[in-house]
Amino acid sequence: MTSTPTRAAELPPSAPHRSAVFVPGALGRRAVAALSFRNIGAVYVWLVIVVLFSVWAPDTFPTIITVKQVLNGNAVAGLVALSVVPPLAARVFDLSVAYTMSLTSVLTARFLVSAGLGPGAAITLAMAAALLIGVVNGIVVVVLRVDSFIATLATGALIQSLITMVTNDSSITGVQLLATPFASIAQLDADGITLPVLYLLLAALAIWFLLEHTATGRRLYATGFNADAARLQGVRTDRLRFLTLVASALLSGFAGIVFASSVGSGSPTAGTPYLLSAYAAAFVGATQLRAGRFNAWGTVLAVLLLGTGITGLGLATSAQWAASLFTGSVLIVALVLTGGRIALPAVLRRRKGIPSTAGAGTPAESGTPPVTGKET
Amino acid sequence: MTGPALRVAALSKRFGGTQALRDVDLEVASGEIHALIGPNGSGKSTLIKILAGFHHAEPGAVAELDGEPFDLGHVTASRHDRLRFVHQELGLVGELSAIDNLALSHGFARTAFGNIRWPEMERRTTALVERFGLGIDVRRPLVTATPVQRAVVAIAAALQGWEGGRGVLVLDEPTAVLPPGEVARLFDIVRELRDAGASVLYVSHRMDEIFALADRVTVIRGGRRIATRRVAELTPRSLAELMAGEETETDHRPAPSAGAADPVLEVRDLWAGPLRGVDLDLARGERLGITGLVGSGHEVVPYVACGAHAGPVSGRLRLPERSERWTEARDAGALGLPLVPADRAGEGVIGDFSVGENLTLPLLHRLRARAGRLHRRRESALAEDWIRRVGVRTAGPGARITTLSGGNQQKVVMARCLAQRPPVLALCEPTAGVDVATRLQLYDLIERQADEGMGVIVCSSDTQDLLALCTRVLVVRDGRIAREISGRDITEPALVHAMEGTE
Repeated sequence: MTSTPTRAAELPPSAPHRSAVFVPGALGRRAVAALSFRNIGAVYVWLVIVVLFSVWAPDTFPTIITVKQVLNGNAVAGLVALSVVPPLAARVFDLSVAYTMSLTSVLTARFLVSAGLGPGAAITLAMAAALLIGVVNGIVVVVLRVDSFIATLATGALIQSLITMVTNDSSITGVQLLATPFASIAQLDADGITLPVLYLLLAALAIWFLLEHTATGRRLYATGFNADAARLQGVRTDRLRFLTLVASALLSGFAGIVFASSVGSGSPTAGTPYLLSAYAAAFVGATQLRAGRFNAWGTVLAVLLLGTGITGLGLATSAQWAASLFTGSVLIVALVLTGGRIALPAVLRRRKGIPSTAGAGTPAESGTPPVTGKET
Repeated sequence: MTGPALRVAALSKRFGGTQALRDVDLEVASGEIHALIGPNGSGKSTLIKILAGFHHAEPGAVAELDGEPFDLGHVTASRHDRLRFVHQELGLVGELSAIDNLALSHGFARTAFGNIRWPEMERRTTALVERFGLGIDVRRPLVTATPVQRAVVAIAAALQGWEGGRGVLVLDEPTAVLPPGEVARLFDIVRELRDAGASVLYVSHRMDEIFALADRVTVIRGGRRIATRRVAELTPRSLAELMAGEETETDHRPAPSAGAADPVLEVRDLWAGPLRGVDLDLARGERLGITGLVGSGHEVVPYVACGAHAGPVSGRLRLPERSERWTEARDAGALGLPLVPADRAGEGVIGDFSVGENLTLPLLHRLRARAGRLHRRRESALAEDWIRRVGVRTAGPGARITTLSGGNQQKVVMARCLAQRPPVLALCEPTAGVDVATRLQLYDLIERQADEGMGVIVCSSDTQDLLALCTRVLVVRDGRIAREISGRDITEPALVHAMEGTE
């Protein structure tokens, strides 16, 4: 032991022993913490919403049809929302996901309808396009060091031009899209619950496992929270950022294919409405369960919360404007309730003060910042 | 005989279950430099924040300026006039110029149309800044200024519109951001302010500063005032005892070790940033100091050795225990030497992570279970083990790292380096922002590692570290090793002269 000063004696590092002695108390405390409003506030809000709409629209809302409608109707939104979670964990914004989604939906449709390819080939080619977008995003953001927020807006514009090239800005429809093998991707159901709900569960499970239970996930969070510190600890931050951009492109690309299958057409604007809701869900999700960290189940919870509210408003009123109003309000309320604990993206969060005053005698003087540039 | 310029009595403050301050009294006589000293977490920042109006004191506290009571809960105009603050982070906007920064608190001179009268602003700012005589260009962004120039701008900003001179200037650890050569200049400025009639409350946790500057000192520890003494009556040892609450060993000086027979690190012809051709050899069990003025390049050496330097590097290095082959300096990262970085908050800890997560971040590859899964139980066992070994004071590995004091955070950063069992440990500013008691523990810890055969590089601009720890010190000047001092010859004057080049 070190030469123990008086203060160290007050708190011997024996936490493991104590928690072993008071197992019931500790369990109880953990249960309380797990069920607290701070941890799963969205669940309580969701329950309130359910009760509210059950009273407001007692005939149409509290039915099994509504449950199915919320699940089926939000599976694609959930996939897009999940696609931005790994990049956000590493503090990378991928704003091109909506365009990637539109592109794969129109490409799949185009390959099926005009090129006469089989569903397997069409899907493979569309996913290859998504992969390419991920790589391009990675190159622009990681290799060329453009801020991800702006970079993915720019690549989004490039993708939009591709979409217009493919579609001339009109939806692609055809019987091939409604034929069984392709249509079943999104429309096969068991008791009214369609396959995309399963995809959503699998994607959430995979991202949850990655972020919570693997070294890679821990390193992703480290990259997001403090990339400089992570790099000094041997975390290959650039490679991780690159990979999250590839992952988000692939997952949002897959969402586009599911979308094309579910509506039976390739729409040049398929992804656009999903962008805001994806980020809303990811940010609300980051206030849940693992507060301050973008996480899979929090995001799914947020998607369901938003979906329930919007469905309920649709049933209770017929106001078109209600959906966006609800999404925006929930996002603000969630962020306020968590007291700004959710870490802001790097573009919005600048280090306080003058860089070189951060530590005593830091060597950040005269243009020799210790570590900022390339990965080592 | 005039009364005290500032008097605070019976000041208490609770944060939840923590009693941060308990019945603290403080009197700053007019025209004196009064030091407030205490270890991290002693409550001195809370006290300053209450004075500044960031926190509200518990009812019952008394506060007077020149005998007139003022309300601690509100930032009133009169108090704003006579109680001025320079906070630790200086509160400046680096991208803006001195003119802009001063105008942020006092407004711009404007014409009838509302546009800024720049010539007048420049005259006004220059007048405030030039009395300190550091040749500050008031139009350039402050990021391009030196640390002492920025400190001066912060002081000038605090002193705006304070022509009367009677009042209290509170300086909160102003030297934390200054290199040693510039500290003396700041002290001159502080003395000048006192001689012009101002009273100064000088917050610090560095004892040498107290002896160099202060007339009286108040020691607080654990939220209580321990003592107020005249500095002339104190010795470094008696002040250290007041601060640490126990007998502390002030002379940590090791005996000179045997020659560098058994090298663990050899560096040849290193060029990087300001460095122009540095050679060094580090022996087993050696504690080698590297120092110099800011910008001399000393601070770059550990970063290059650990492969963490941004920008072009050249030279080669070798770890004889690992391999007989020389490694190009640009590939130094492959050697995997861990680094305790200088900027703990920026590069050391991950503030949103727990103590355990911070500790195990570079060790995750050891904790793989089946299917790439992280072995949680082994992880927390590993974290608890190292928390115990280096004596981190924390509620457990699950506690957020930012709930720890600076010194304990530093222990976590060191523990995760030690856990990698490296042949060489490179430390940058190892005791920056660390209180006296923890500082001694860190010295002990570093010494023990060296005794077990690790080579330790201590890169520090704090001469106290070098005096207490090092068996040999390399002083870097203008990118070259200007002087090598070892054993008994390592003294404060020798170091300062070598750094400044005034031998």
